[in-house]
Amino acid sequence: MKILRVCLFFVCLVAPAARAQKWNPPTAMKKLSNGLTVVLSEDRSAPTIGVCVSYGIGFRLEPEGRTGFAHLFEHMMFEGTPVAPKGVFDRVIEGGGGFNNGDTRYDFTEYIESAPVSALEPILWLEADRMKTLDFSIKNLENQRNVVEEEVRVNVMNQPYGLFFAIDLPGKAFDTYPNAHNFYGDFRDLDATNIGDVQKFFESYYAPNNAVLAIVGDIKIENGFALAEKYFAGVPPRQVPPRPNVSERPQTAERRAEETDKLAQVPALAIGYRMPPHGSQDAIVAAIAGELLHNGDASLLYQSLVKGNQVALSVDGGTNWPLGNPFEYDGPTLMTSFIVYPPNVSEERVIAAYDGAIADLVKNAPSRAALERVATKMRSDRYGELEIPIRRASALSHAVLFDGSFASVYSMPDDLAKVTPQDVKAFAAKYLVRTNRTILNRLPAAAQGPAKQGGAQ
Amino acid sequence: MKILRIFLVILLGASCAYAQGQKEQQLPKGLPPYGPQPPLQAPEVKTSKLDNGLTVWLVSLPGLPKVAMTAAVRGGLAADPKDRPGLAELLADTLNQGTKSRTARQIAEELQGAGGDFQARAGRDGITVSANVLSADTGAALTVLADVLQNATFPASEVTLAKRNLSDTLKQRESRPGFLASRALSKAIFGDNPYSVVAPTQESIQNTTAEELRMQFARRFRPDEAIFVAVGDLDAGKMESLVREKLGSWKSPQMAPADESPRPPGDSPHALFLVPRPGSVQTTLEMGTLAPLAGDADYEAAEVANAIYGGTFSSRLTSNIREDKGYTYSPGSSLETYRQADVLRTQADVRNAVTAPTFNEIVYELNRMATTTPTNDELNKAKRSLLGTQAILLQLRGSVARQLGDNWMLGLPPDQIRMEGEHIEEVTSADVDSAAQKYFPAMRMTIVAVGEEKVIRQAFAPFGIAVQTLP
Repeated sequence: MKILRVCLFFVCLVAPAARAQKWNPPTAMKKLSNGLTVVLSEDRSAPTIGVCVSYGIGFRLEPEGRTGFAHLFEHMMFEGTPVAPKGVFDRVIEGGGGFNNGDTRYDFTEYIESAPVSALEPILWLEADRMKTLDFSIKNLENQRNVVEEEVRVNVMNQPYGLFFAIDLPGKAFDTYPNAHNFYGDFRDLDATNIGDVQKFFESYYAPNNAVLAIVGDIKIENGFALAEKYFAGVPPRQVPPRPNVSERPQTAERRAEETDKLAQVPALAIGYRMPPHGSQDAIVAAIAGELLHNGDASLLYQSLVKGNQVALSVDGGTNWPLGNPFEYDGPTLMTSFIVYPPNVSEERVIAAYDGAIADLVKNAPSRAALERVATKMRSDRYGELEIPIRRASALSHAVLFDGSFASVYSMPDDLAKVTPQDVKAFAAKYLVRTNRTILNRLPAAAQGPAKQGGAQ
Repeated sequence: MKILRIFLVILLGASCAYAQGQKEQQLPKGLPPYGPQPPLQAPEVKTSKLDNGLTVWLVSLPGLPKVAMTAAVRGGLAADPKDRPGLAELLADTLNQGTKSRTARQIAEELQGAGGDFQARAGRDGITVSANVLSADTGAALTVLADVLQNATFPASEVTLAKRNLSDTLKQRESRPGFLASRALSKAIFGDNPYSVVAPTQESIQNTTAEELRMQFARRFRPDEAIFVAVGDLDAGKMESLVREKLGSWKSPQMAPADESPRPPGDSPHALFLVPRPGSVQTTLEMGTLAPLAGDADYEAAEVANAIYGGTFSSRLTSNIREDKGYTYSPGSSLETYRQADVLRTQADVRNAVTAPTFNEIVYELNRMATTTPTNDELNKAKRSLLGTQAILLQLRGSVARQLGDNWMLGLPPDQIRMEGEHIEEVTSADVDSAAQKYFPAMRMTIVAVGEEKVIRQAFAPFGIAVQTLP
């Protein structure tokens, strides 16, 4: 494909306050000749900036036999380049008063920096440098393999519940490798990873034409574009493999399974419903329905399970939870509920109460007032996220990655406000049905017979 | 579920780090220099005091249409009756469970309709209540908050449910190594001092009554020992009128306010407190010692020393035990600040097999801080990192409100943020040396290890440190 220099320039000005309080900070986008999309959002309220480079690759597409690799690779992005050896990246950014991090998710991997505006140019230089090539050091791979295995120990193996609602639930709810595998990685696979894998992954996916750079903060939009051009225009484009089909065959029956947990003392349930595809009208309804059920003390599940029926200690969850918000996925995902319940309450009682709350939605639809409250809360939460320059950069870059446009970042609160009680009722009747769900019950091993011990990890 | 949320945020974060400890690395050719560092923009706080004694601090930050509100009262975990440890947590949990005119559900729904939710947190020195809402709904949200602060009723049925849930939640927390370590370290460092309590016990939960909560509420939630902070899209004059309207008739009771905690008497024991946790695949290490109070002359020097040692990603500790040796994922150190005490704390979760070598490296890095002078590069990097991080936090309404509320709780003035920034700028290499000599020697540290008992006993045998079990 011949790459044309496209200049898309959207500037959204602050809209007059209607009934709902709107906020659209000035934002614009353009594409460099190497295919890198650049998004700028100006915010002069403080002398700081947030930078995010998002690549269109996540753990959904990591190779078979290499579970956990997309995340291990993310660590390797911090391990130096031929020009800026290990250590330079962090030293320059922290020495400039900033901090940095990386996140791997199903459909993107992002690299973020937050800093005083005085560190912007060194940060852009460093990001462009590691988009060109890496150090590919065997010693550093060995080091980061150890670090990642400690990360899995500290977050999974040595913790009660071991993130079973995020790792094991998709494993049961989906049937194909891209959607069902353990994204944190089996140690067997992590141990088998070699430097050739790192090199191949980088060359396949870490190309400017598979990335979006977003800069938010104390910089004029045109100056930001000029800096992006200055530092990134020289990164050559590469051929990126076509996206494979990651769809699932439809689910036809409820799935149930039980696990034991050596470390937990209180049982927990994870319930997952398969959700509509990103970008569909149903997905907007899925987003608000997920929050109506799970967001805070006013949520339907909290009110039903924790307060009314008193069969749960806590309820968390939502659409595409916990590894993203309801808008940032590009393949099969779930609406997940994670419910911790008292040891003297049976699993069946919890599920009966849960089903009661869902049945009420299907039969009666939510009240208009309840839906308006949730839409207001989501607007407020979204603005709270966009207030933080790196979070805004992150949201803008993901929207561009998935939709080719950042418009949804700002229009989302208004789209949610348009959802009607009937929409939610229809959504619940279609998606929140038993044949579309998977339930995992996780029981403390201590409460089981000794024969059942040992299954936690 | 706050803790779980926190660890989900760090999930999959690379928190990358590396820096050369002693030899300075050359910077790459072509790397552009930093621009001139912008000065720290400390918030301009409009302060006032209502006739009933309520302190009010307001900051106008226009732009984003949100307002962060925080109210804090003195009297937290350290002010709980001795036979009711952790009562403040139950008090914070049940504060929003009903008022004279609103049910728990109404409170939750009204705040949700304003774009916020009710957050209450019991700290050692006080209880903090906050809500972050759309600015158009500031009045509606403040109406609810003001009602809770003045009229919470602690209905018996809600207290019964909250006690039952807190009892099971405590069991759930006790299954996490980080909680066990923090609780043990606090007990080991503070001993009999009221600061030793970080959570309730099953016994205290069972014994606390709704009547006791009402009494403690009346004693602690009083305008003469409270602050109200609002930060964001607001007009300070109008906001002050609104606060006066909603909280002006709040009255303080006759009874004496919560007791102030006594200052811990002296150094904590240099010993290992072992917390057995069968089935652990890692040892959770925590170490701590008393450090200067915020506002003390050497506080900022200790902050800079901490940034060099373990407080940043490119710190010596992270560079050593993570980026060089690969022993751990997220090691670090911090200064924890309370009104009458500060703790310099180090923590790392490491696989069982490297428990001893990790401890050895931590001891080395602590003593290296205490015995050698950091390079100029390290000093400057640490100072810029502290000031830059603060600049990033100060643009967030919720963060400014929280810092102001916390500073008031510590007895610090409204312009503490500006002063602390200036003091950090002024810290010299000699200041860092003397703070590090005073606070960082490894032999000052009280140590907690949570994990397999046999692994820990073997690992610590070569170091000759007394092993103690907590009472």
